[in-house]
Amino acid sequence: MSEIMNEEKLIMDRFGNENHFRVPDNYFNEFPQRVLKRIEHQRRRRRIIHWSIAAMLTGCVLGTSFLMNSVKQQDLPFEADNNQYIEDALDYSMINNMEIATYLTEAE
Amino acid sequence: MIDETRIIAQLKDKSQREKAFNTLVHEYQEVLYWQIRRLVITHDDADDVLQNTFIKAWMALDEFRAESKISTWLFRIAINESLSFLEKKKRSTDIISGTDDYLRNQLLADPYFDGDETQALLLEAINQLPEKQKAVFNLKYFQEMKYEDMSQIMGTSIGALKASYHHAVKKITDFFQQND
Repeated sequence: MSEIMNEEKLIMDRFGNENHFRVPDNYFNEFPQRVLKRIEHQRRRRRIIHWSIAAMLTGCVLGTSFLMNSVKQQDLPFEADNNQYIEDALDYSMINNMEIATYLTEAE
Repeated sequence: MIDETRIIAQLKDKSQREKAFNTLVHEYQEVLYWQIRRLVITHDDADDVLQNTFIKAWMALDEFRAESKISTWLFRIAINESLSFLEKKKRSTDIISGTDDYLRNQLLADPYFDGDETQALLLEAINQLPEKQKAVFNLKYFQEMKYEDMSQIMGTSIGALKASYHHAVKKITDFFQQND
């Protein structure tokens, strides 16, 4: 232990522990404004992503109900599998389950 | 010095959050900057890491449970951000490994470093330490932080931190013996 203390003292005597780094003029005066700007930018991006997901989900629901209606009206000879239509519509929308889950969680 | 209880209450209130966060940035930007700067060395890198630190803190405000002090929480984010920055940088380049005098020359040419060759040598010696040991050494040697506070920031036991600091001191002394 004392050996370490001696070594620490040797380092301190030779180099000290002063700060020799400097920053550009006004750096700390301007920094808070820059951070708040970046936070605002991130917020705006998240808002756009939320609205895009909401629009896509609405599109999916409308598209699916339109498809189901047209199947009924055509009175197809075979029984249409509604679940398959919903799954296909979600597949074509290119939204993965994680994004839907994130959106629904944040919407709460 | 800010009133912790008041600022935490303001941060939880969405209508006052931005103003309170601005106060937080003003209060802690310098102390966090110097800690980050000693780890990442250049001003540009320190600026990036400091911005990321506050953005991470902003995004995690809802998860802040006030079990630790705000300063401890911010220090923890800053150190984690610095260490992952160094990890990424190490993967993309081996310049930072400190195997030659690259860092010393870089520091002496840096307009935002006013130390002489002796001080640059110390930073070069610190730079050859493993990342976590480097953080422990900086907190103890330059900021004279208590092991108890350091333990909360680093999430490591006091015993392990003492051992880490002693290893760091030993390695730095060995470095000088080899380079003098």
